[in-house]
Amino acid sequence: MWILPISMLVLTTLLAIPLSRYMSRIMDGTYRVPRFLRWLEDRLDCGPQSWKQYTLSLLVFNTVLFVFGFVVLAVQPWMPLNPQHKGMLAPSTIFHTVISFMTNTDVQHYAGDVHFSNFSQIFFGFTMFFLSASIGFCALTMMIRALRGGPTVGNFFVDMWRVVAYMFLPACLLLAVLFVQQGSPMTFKSFHEVHTLEPAAMGTLDNGQPKPQTIVVGPLAAFVPMKQLGTNGGGFYGMNSAHPFENPTGFTNFLSCVAMMLFPFGLVLMFGRMLNRLSHAWLIFGVMMFFMIGTVVWAIYFDTLKPNPGLTAHPVARTYQIPDPSAPGGKRMVTLPAVAGLPVDQHLGNLEGKELRFGTSAGATFAALTVDVTDGAVNCEHDSLNPLAGLSPYAGMWLNCFFGGKGVGMINMLLFVVVGIFIAGQMVGRTPEYLGKKIGGREMKLAMIALLVHPIMILMPTGIFAGTNWGLKAESNPGAHGFSQILYQFSSSSANNGSAFDGLGVTYGFNNNPNPAPTAVDWDIASALVILVSRFLPIVAPMAMAAFLGAKKSSPFGLGTLRDDTPTFALLLVGTIAIIGALLFLPVAALGPLAEHWGPLPFGG
Amino acid sequence: MSRILSKSLLLLLFTVVAACGIYPAVVWAIAHLFFPFQAEGSLLKGPDGQVVGSRLIAQPFTKDEYFQPRPSAAGYDASASASSTLAASNYALRDRVARMLGPIVKYRSGPKVGQLVAPDVESWFQQDRYQGQPGIVAQWAALHPNLATVWVNADPVHAAYVDTWAKNHAAVVSDWIKSNPATPQPKAADLAVAFFQSFSKENPGRFPSAVTRTAPGGKPETSIEPVKDGSDIQSIFFDMWRQDHFNADLQEVPGDMLTTSGAGLDPNITLQNAEFQLDRVASKWAADTKGNEAKIRKEIDQLLQANARAPFGGLAGEKLVNVLEVNLALRNRYSAPN
Repeated sequence: MWILPISMLVLTTLLAIPLSRYMSRIMDGTYRVPRFLRWLEDRLDCGPQSWKQYTLSLLVFNTVLFVFGFVVLAVQPWMPLNPQHKGMLAPSTIFHTVISFMTNTDVQHYAGDVHFSNFSQIFFGFTMFFLSASIGFCALTMMIRALRGGPTVGNFFVDMWRVVAYMFLPACLLLAVLFVQQGSPMTFKSFHEVHTLEPAAMGTLDNGQPKPQTIVVGPLAAFVPMKQLGTNGGGFYGMNSAHPFENPTGFTNFLSCVAMMLFPFGLVLMFGRMLNRLSHAWLIFGVMMFFMIGTVVWAIYFDTLKPNPGLTAHPVARTYQIPDPSAPGGKRMVTLPAVAGLPVDQHLGNLEGKELRFGTSAGATFAALTVDVTDGAVNCEHDSLNPLAGLSPYAGMWLNCFFGGKGVGMINMLLFVVVGIFIAGQMVGRTPEYLGKKIGGREMKLAMIALLVHPIMILMPTGIFAGTNWGLKAESNPGAHGFSQILYQFSSSSANNGSAFDGLGVTYGFNNNPNPAPTAVDWDIASALVILVSRFLPIVAPMAMAAFLGAKKSSPFGLGTLRDDTPTFALLLVGTIAIIGALLFLPVAALGPLAEHWGPLPFGG
Repeated sequence: MSRILSKSLLLLLFTVVAACGIYPAVVWAIAHLFFPFQAEGSLLKGPDGQVVGSRLIAQPFTKDEYFQPRPSAAGYDASASASSTLAASNYALRDRVARMLGPIVKYRSGPKVGQLVAPDVESWFQQDRYQGQPGIVAQWAALHPNLATVWVNADPVHAAYVDTWAKNHAAVVSDWIKSNPATPQPKAADLAVAFFQSFSKENPGRFPSAVTRTAPGGKPETSIEPVKDGSDIQSIFFDMWRQDHFNADLQEVPGDMLTTSGAGLDPNITLQNAEFQLDRVASKWAADTKGNEAKIRKEIDQLLQANARAPFGGLAGEKLVNVLEVNLALRNRYSAPN
């Protein structure tokens, strides 16, 4: 039960220590490579850049990536590796998919096994996986260099290539061999048709012949490692890492979890190494770990250790007084009758939407970890999690800094650090300082913009969609859970996460699909816009903030300076995150998962 | 600016060559050199040498001679994985589980210990009283209008039956239109609840179900008729029976047998689930091969025990059985089921 998550966290932490040393060496450029690789780097190098040039390069490169991705997906019908002659996705879905993948979000409004050819999986998927993960990485690196001070912050293109070539590619190669050994296919064929052991068990075709089972295969073993290492999370198959080919055994599930946490863990320590503030980085690491363990324990406690409440008994009838203007006295009594349980052995917890081969607590653990590091792969159906357990992925997405994605999570945490220091400074009446630099009004404004974009981009569209047919026509579950589905989609979009409550009707499918989900286009566009704003504002604003901070004079360390590596500071940080998070998101939590848990169960007919 | 653009294109080119060309090619070569079986999808061959499926992908089994995999929200379609996406609070989840339970649940204690509850569900249904009120079917439709609609839409034959009923019950239909002025020309699905309420009044203790009879020509014909027993009654009304029999002590059924998996293709079941199915499987094979049931049961049990594996050697989960591998072993040992 607990061995699985504990061993994952411990092993990843141990691996992250040497990895962070390697990472800071690579990003500092103090390494030696063969002449051929050096030649490639020289081709990309256009000299040291100022923070503005670096940011501009990042934005221009994303634009190039968008065009490339859009073209690759649009030409799918005419490209090779497409024996099933899959057509073109709806343009709105292509738009959404490209935005989603190039920002490391990977919310999917399509199903890879149904809608993508192997050509698209490789040329769209692999390219986006490697590059989108590197972008956040480089943004953090640039911020670190800016905080060190100095007029230039390195070269964006060289940084990108270093991450792709010296970190992701070797790690992927190693993992890919392990995945194929465990059973992930690695082939450029698209599918096998097999005749089932019991003839006609799949039914019969129109001509009376037994229907074969069509098994979609592809270059999975190469696909999955980068999906996880880059905290991308976009599935090759519709059901992502729950699919037996994408995650064939308990061991690959373990590897998947370690792989998705590895670089986010390492980046925190890299931050400390490059700034020469390792103790401060360990403190941030500890705070992040505290929250991460919290979400894992919460999910396991409410999902693995509790049965699915839809099947159990609720032996006592409950009566509530509710306000009702039409009733005499303005009040009305509502009774929820007692419910007898179904005879189901649920000692393994809630098994709806879970796979068995990963281990008992693996579904809940994965659900918590995948949102904490904004991976977004899923190995169980989040829609079917127990209502309270569902709060764990929500918390990870809302606060978005329990390690968080490649670099971006650390950037979010820096914002909380700056805000925490500012609040503490206000309380004792001193000018707040971080890393010896005074935090001024301009920096605070930038930090607040970056911090507030996220809740606005979740709550505003959730409100709009929950109140209109855009959302109501897409819900697939009744009552509070329907609202949860809408909330989850925008939380996942804004957090650049990518997991989903899959029941939501957001799939248009191929462009010629006669029966798309009724509001799929609205979802494509709204979700894509949320992703865009929530990706780039919280990267660019902190980059500017770091540049402004870095340009300031360092003030000497004095008696009144708030030390950033003490338990007091850790407590301050935990408090800041918890209070800001609760203030922003408790009301929607009450409307969604909490209402579902304490409301009538089962609900609706 | 043009410098940034050209470097952007160059970076994209380098990455495409490395990540979409060299990297998958190297992995492909290693995979086919060292793990050709896994690289092609772990395909298993049947007794005649033909590929019968992948050991990692669940496939359906309908015959009682075989162990059955977990139910699949994807219909075992390995080209479109899917989960049920049913929330715990959604009644549709409870209904799906209850329908699977009805025909297989047994009493755990009391005078009928070890016997199926299904006959009791049928006789309770024929009494036609739920929570002290008459009209089980009418109450069922009123409590669960979605399920009533699902029944009408499930089969064109059902919809046709409702259409015929509507023609013969013009008064009920016009009453319905009066209370639903927004739908002046209701379809069969709109009338589902009204249909069941009227049906219940006219056929107390009956439910419309498909009945197959041999026509005079010798051909089987299927039609919808009011029935008082059978699998529809046992499954659809098990949950209501349960609410009326709060204290009945029932044997618990393994959870993984009743729940759909994440991708709908889970190749495993728990050993507990397999042993739950063992009696059925063994007695069927015994009948097919005219062998000794106790001996066959023991053989199959040994097969299960030999094939059971727990993730991480039992550190992180329960013992599991691969359904296709076990069924393939059964097929190889006892030849094809009748």
